[in-house]
Amino acid sequence: MPAPKRVTVDTSQWLLMLHVAAAFLFVGGSVAAGILNVLALRAERPSETALLLRLIRWTLPVVMLGVLGTLVLGIWLWHQLSFSIGAAWIWVSLALWVVANALGGIGGRHQERSRELAERLAAEGDAPSDELRALLRDAKGTAMSYAAGLATLAILVLMIWRPGS
Amino acid sequence: MTILAFSRAFWPLFLHVLAAMTLFGALLAAVVVAVAGLPRATFASLVTALPAWAVTLACAYWIEHDEGLGNANATWLSIGHGVLEPGLIVLLAALATAYWWRRSGKPLAGRICASLSGVYLLLLVVAFLAMSGKWGS
Repeated sequence: MPAPKRVTVDTSQWLLMLHVAAAFLFVGGSVAAGILNVLALRAERPSETALLLRLIRWTLPVVMLGVLGTLVLGIWLWHQLSFSIGAAWIWVSLALWVVANALGGIGGRHQERSRELAERLAAEGDAPSDELRALLRDAKGTAMSYAAGLATLAILVLMIWRPGS
Repeated sequence: MTILAFSRAFWPLFLHVLAAMTLFGALLAAVVVAVAGLPRATFASLVTALPAWAVTLACAYWIEHDEGLGNANATWLSIGHGVLEPGLIVLLAALATAYWWRRSGKPLAGRICASLSGVYLLLLVVAFLAMSGKWGS
């Protein structure tokens, strides 16, 4: 009777699988947070806006796991696959990773301020408010979140394109 | 993701991965708002998942065509197709129950919708692990 075929998976394959999984958590979690933010913008009552902005917290563990996983496993893969230390696309990706997280953090603080106002308005009668609408649509806060999304998209482009390698 | 591209053409792979990530995110949002008891938001999140599903599938066939993988028998490809294609039925069933929930306000509809979305989310996790790890190749 022939011995059962053993499928071996090397370290690089494991790292790659987990790195891609982390990227899914990073981008997917960010998409989920973005959808909840858009739904909060479209909500009629402050209580609904506050709830939707609170729910963004549920996606944060997913995003954080992805953020840390992409960095640690990405650097490990860099070493494992013997990519050049001067590989520009990796350095640019790392810089974009820092930018995406910094901008995402600023956008998140803006969402927190919106949530606090929405909760206060909900407790004071839950009537639609122009002040809340203006804060939710604040150009600076919105621009930070969009810029964080664009930086994340640029990382994805570089990881798949890998210019110069 | 570093060696995901291999020598493949950029656009089909980029769009396939981006759409799959969007599908994952839309389902995650649907599960979160369904568990929180928000039928309208659940319906809206699931509607977002539909175009993402379509782009993921279309680009999967685009890559298969370009790479000559049409007759390939690899486990990772079978898992990808096995999750993505029948997944439309699960996605449509979740969307239908979200619509029923929105119209009727029945908690049972919300629980079914959250379960269907959660199951599809888990199946997607299996699919992207299989495809990125090239299981059985």
